[in-house]
Amino acid sequence: MSNVTADGERAASAGPVSRTLEFPGGSIQYFREGRGRPLLFLHAAGGAGVWHEFLERLSAGFDVVAPAHPGFGPSDELPEVEDIDDLVYHYIDVIDRLGLDRPHVVGGSFGGWVAAELAVAAPHKIASLTLLGAVGLRIPEHPVTDLFFLKPHEIPPVLFSDPAKAAEMFPPGEPDIDTILAAYKDQTALARFGWVPFLNNPKLERRLKRITAPTLVAWAEKDALVPIEHGRRYAERIPGARFEVVDDCGHAMYFERPAEFADVVMGFLSGVSR
Amino acid sequence: MRFVFFHLMPYPYLPDDFDENHRSPSLTFPSKYFDPRLGRELYHRYLDELEYAETLGFDGIAVNEHHQTAYGLMPSPNLMAAALSRRTERAQIMVLGNAIGIRGNPLRVAEEIAMLDHLTNGRIVSGFVRGIGWEYFGHSVNPTRSRGRFNEAHDLIIKAWTSDDVFQWYGDNYEYRYVNLWPKPLQRPHPPIYIPGAGSTETMKFVAEHGYTYMSVYAPSRVVKMWFDGYRAAAEEAGVTPDPEKIGFSLPVYVAETDEQAHREAKQYLEWLFLKGLKQGTEIVSPPGYMSQGSMRGILKAGLKPFAELSYEELLAQGYAVVGSPRTVTERFGELHEQLGFGQLIALMSIGNAPHEHTKRSMELFASEVMPALRPLGVASTAGAAS
Repeated sequence: MSNVTADGERAASAGPVSRTLEFPGGSIQYFREGRGRPLLFLHAAGGAGVWHEFLERLSAGFDVVAPAHPGFGPSDELPEVEDIDDLVYHYIDVIDRLGLDRPHVVGGSFGGWVAAELAVAAPHKIASLTLLGAVGLRIPEHPVTDLFFLKPHEIPPVLFSDPAKAAEMFPPGEPDIDTILAAYKDQTALARFGWVPFLNNPKLERRLKRITAPTLVAWAEKDALVPIEHGRRYAERIPGARFEVVDDCGHAMYFERPAEFADVVMGFLSGVSR
Repeated sequence: MRFVFFHLMPYPYLPDDFDENHRSPSLTFPSKYFDPRLGRELYHRYLDELEYAETLGFDGIAVNEHHQTAYGLMPSPNLMAAALSRRTERAQIMVLGNAIGIRGNPLRVAEEIAMLDHLTNGRIVSGFVRGIGWEYFGHSVNPTRSRGRFNEAHDLIIKAWTSDDVFQWYGDNYEYRYVNLWPKPLQRPHPPIYIPGAGSTETMKFVAEHGYTYMSVYAPSRVVKMWFDGYRAAAEEAGVTPDPEKIGFSLPVYVAETDEQAHREAKQYLEWLFLKGLKQGTEIVSPPGYMSQGSMRGILKAGLKPFAELSYEELLAQGYAVVGSPRTVTERFGELHEQLGFGQLIALMSIGNAPHEHTKRSMELFASEVMPALRPLGVASTAGAAS
């Protein structure tokens, strides 16, 4: 399969080449850019197939590999990847097939859950773990907002603290059919892995003690989707984890404050890399 | 033409602030608004109406399944069918249908329908539906698995009804080491199957290939035409010519002595149904994966307004409902039959907050004046008639 150019102006003007990797039943899309130790970035429910400022900043210090999860954005749904443990095996395959030697793993929101599961299942495969506003834990007294239940106009204020930033990501007006369908595809992929149990694995919390990688848990101060208690719980249960909060920011962390989140992550990784 | 009296069993007593303060009567509309005394009255009134429909000469009386909603009070349609089974003698009792997409154990549906077939002396009709989107929230079933669960539950139920021996079942969604249905249904090979479609091409193909009855849901007649044409095309592709009765046109119908009176009365009933009963956002109607990308594209391209944004005039002009004097209603169905082609009219006649007296009169006028005039339409020609 030849490389194809990514959709979207940003990627076409500045971003790296969009690549694909074949799997049984379909292919997944990924970007790879930058020099240094490998860094596997696992995206949130939104943002698949987009090379954005946060990634650009990380690529200044690392060989960033940013795949779109199966079913998200430009990646096909893969019949053999239907729940979260399948996704863990999928990323073990991605690491091996791209020859990533003990990459740093950075995951945001849904991707943070996948990253945590990967760190539990294959601690020897990764150099470090960074969880950004990650779902994955079951904390009934601090429930994750049911984003499937939100009406379109209710979504931006849940994701962003700053309405102006939200407006950049969600332009006003009626979206066209292709935009609606693309969002429906991402939501479908998310629901496939996280409808029930709702974006959590009841067994994950008790398994976090198995993580051996140096870990950073970073959260947006005003996360209205995944309560900050989830971050504290992750940081408590993962041996030696560091916990940091980025002020005045919503759940869309690295879209709302890309520079600040990049600084926090790069700061942590510079300590690990040595 | 066959005529079916279809009931939703709505709970019409909504609070005064419903429009302002409640996003839907479904899923999250608190059950504190359900008054058990009124609820009890409604169940008995609605069952009386279904029984009365048989007396009036309807060929079938139909119930359906909904959960966690004031839109319809039948979480278990099979219980309603059981209540009707020994109070009626002639009409088919039609469960349209069991929401097999959200059932944890589809064998229970096979068992209950088989029992009902005996209780009704072979008058049961078994509809299968996937369940509306909000029911995937309410019963915590993954909507991305909806299609697979529906298809597999269907296959399992049919095999359970028709197999003479104990069998095992290993599927993506269900696993049983011992399937052995007692009782088997009375009708052979099994009760007739009805499946509603809302534009999904997968459903049209599925129904056509199995030779089942395809029925419409609320939509403008131009859209229903696309569905029925799609079903006929899918049938042709499968090498079958569906009997006209295998196409069921389902919609609200209201009849009064004059057009003027019919509109004066029906306006608020239809507005209750569409503006309140069907007040529901896309997010709960089509949760992620409930629709395929292709079906979703088709629905978006059809450019339909949300039900709650339709005016009474639009509802009538676009063919969402038929209202008028017996003569007007007869003529309108003549046109619609010409346009759409169907051999079964599934009429929702207890509409929204319509009181019993109006429902009863509408049923009587429909039965005595409309049905006889439409009866000859939509019947298979002798040459093509099913044996």
